[in-house]
Amino acid sequence: MLNQLVNLLENKENGLSLSEISRAMNAQPSAVLSMIDLLVQKGKLIEIGPDGKCCTTCGLLSDCNLLAARGKRYMVKKSSCTIPF
Amino acid sequence: MTTSFTKYFFRLDYGGKIERAIARLIAAFEENKFDTGRYPQRWLAIKLLEGDADILSRVQAMPNGTQVIEFAKQDAEKIKSMLGDEVDLLTADRRYGYINGIVRQSLQRPLMDRITLTDRIDDIVTHKWLGLPFFFAVMYVVFRLVIDVSAPFLDWTDAVINGPMAHLFSFILDLTPAPAWIHSLVIDGIVAGVGGVLVFVPGLLILYFFLALLEDSGYMSRAAFVMDRFMRVVGLHGKSFIPMILGFGCAVPAIYATRTIASRRDRVLTALLVPLMSCSARLPVYVVFGLAFFGARAGTVIWAMYALGILVAMLAGMVFTRTILKPDVSSAFVLELPPYRQPALKSVLIHMWENTREFVRKAGTTILYASLVMWLLLNMPWGVTHQRDSYFGKVSGVIAPVFAPLGFGNWQTSGALVSGFMAKEIVVSTMSQIYLSGEEAGITEPVSFSKDVIGIGSGFVTATINSGKILLSILPGVDLIPADEAPNDTALSLVLQEQFTSLSAMSMLVFVLLYVPCVATLGAIKHEFGTSWAVTSAVYQTAVAWIVALMIYQGGRLLGFG
Repeated sequence: MLNQLVNLLENKENGLSLSEISRAMNAQPSAVLSMIDLLVQKGKLIEIGPDGKCCTTCGLLSDCNLLAARGKRYMVKKSSCTIPF
Repeated sequence: MTTSFTKYFFRLDYGGKIERAIARLIAAFEENKFDTGRYPQRWLAIKLLEGDADILSRVQAMPNGTQVIEFAKQDAEKIKSMLGDEVDLLTADRRYGYINGIVRQSLQRPLMDRITLTDRIDDIVTHKWLGLPFFFAVMYVVFRLVIDVSAPFLDWTDAVINGPMAHLFSFILDLTPAPAWIHSLVIDGIVAGVGGVLVFVPGLLILYFFLALLEDSGYMSRAAFVMDRFMRVVGLHGKSFIPMILGFGCAVPAIYATRTIASRRDRVLTALLVPLMSCSARLPVYVVFGLAFFGARAGTVIWAMYALGILVAMLAGMVFTRTILKPDVSSAFVLELPPYRQPALKSVLIHMWENTREFVRKAGTTILYASLVMWLLLNMPWGVTHQRDSYFGKVSGVIAPVFAPLGFGNWQTSGALVSGFMAKEIVVSTMSQIYLSGEEAGITEPVSFSKDVIGIGSGFVTATINSGKILLSILPGVDLIPADEAPNDTALSLVLQEQFTSLSAMSMLVFVLLYVPCVATLGAIKHEFGTSWAVTSAVYQTAVAWIVALMIYQGGRLLGFG
């Protein structure tokens, strides 16, 4: 299941949201979320902003209006985040 | 004992390599004379291979634990090099796979209705033609409710600030040997300036309440979707709408929110348009003028200001797109529409309070300092008898002719507009200081503390009843408000009625909507895009504001509205 999830996200340039992942895997979002949390914790996935940019380096991450309005997305961690900010 | 205990229980197969590692580790327990104690051997072996921090620390403290941990680490490393993943990920993968298999075999989910209620609502609110009118209709209803329902509370707050609160400050000052100028500083400077802005707190509470309702229900995402399509039609980037939505609250975070847009050209264009979205700081100006000149139509006028801001932003976007900011390659706009849900009251109240608290905090800092500076400028040179002869009055008088064609060429208004460059709320606080200083009508006749307290309480009850009546009157067939009963004007509104006509008031509102952004917004633009774009923003907005206000005032006069 974890491999299936990582493979699903492998080629998604803008990542996928929780609901998109759960739809693609035909599983409940709550079940998928625990898998995502584990993979994020292990450094396999990263949480990203809605436009496909990494949020991890942003100081406003915990209080981001944009993220709150448009939701988290996830993608496979490839290399260090390069944001055109 | 533990082995015989576990054999009756389910055992998940983790695959050849991990199972062999588990077996090797169990054998190592015996070789190293390691007693697993109350832990089952297999479970402990798996936890050690996974590198579970809690278990590692417990085993470390047990006799011969160090050797066992070392053995487990070496085996875990071997598995990682062979299978390419850490053991805990591999075991978790097996567990999730097993769970998923059970769920698939044992759980049959009923077929969901493919067309949900959310889909049905979205068919209307995101409709190609109906979506945009629906959005404007929603905003119209919100502003009508804000103005109509908050009007009795605005009157009450105004009465409390200019009555009991002014009395209290005056009473405290009378107890001290404070000179007359301190008295004037507190009453004419702080109470008139800061109080003039705090009057609008009830209106903002109600505005933020309704905006939080819209956000929590999921409608705001639909609004972004509808506006995105509209913006693309007029040559703007779809991603620009989110910063613009934020701009209705405050332009500063909205400018920083443009960072999510990849193209610099799109970022600059969005930052130039965001200040045209009417921020909440302008609302006090709209409410003062709206209630003073447009009575029952104040809600419509305020809604029109918001709509005009959007319209001018669209037109300005089209002009920029065809001149100095020609479009480059556009990218997709990713927007997920969440299902509709019933807003949680607690969340709505928290949202409402946090936004209003920010406004009150600003009143206690920026507006307080500005009020003090303004009072000083209105009283310099020291001992000046008329404010028109003060430094502030003289400088404002020099600028005033610029605004004469717009219908408000007096020094008081031009001074208030210049002070609004610091923050838009200061337009109201400056006007309060200029027009209301020395009025203090309530102080001329002595009042007792108990009368003030009773007045505050009874005034609040009356305001609540009147607001309730107004709210109920919105329902079809219910009419609890007599036709000739209009909300009372605030003290400032009454003075303004002598200085402006309805037409010049409208021209003033439009100018405030469109003119130079506040200094914090320009600072954000300079920080993000450099000085030249900050100057461009200030110059083009002031020019647009002057031209549109001129068209409204002179056009209105030509049509006989003057």
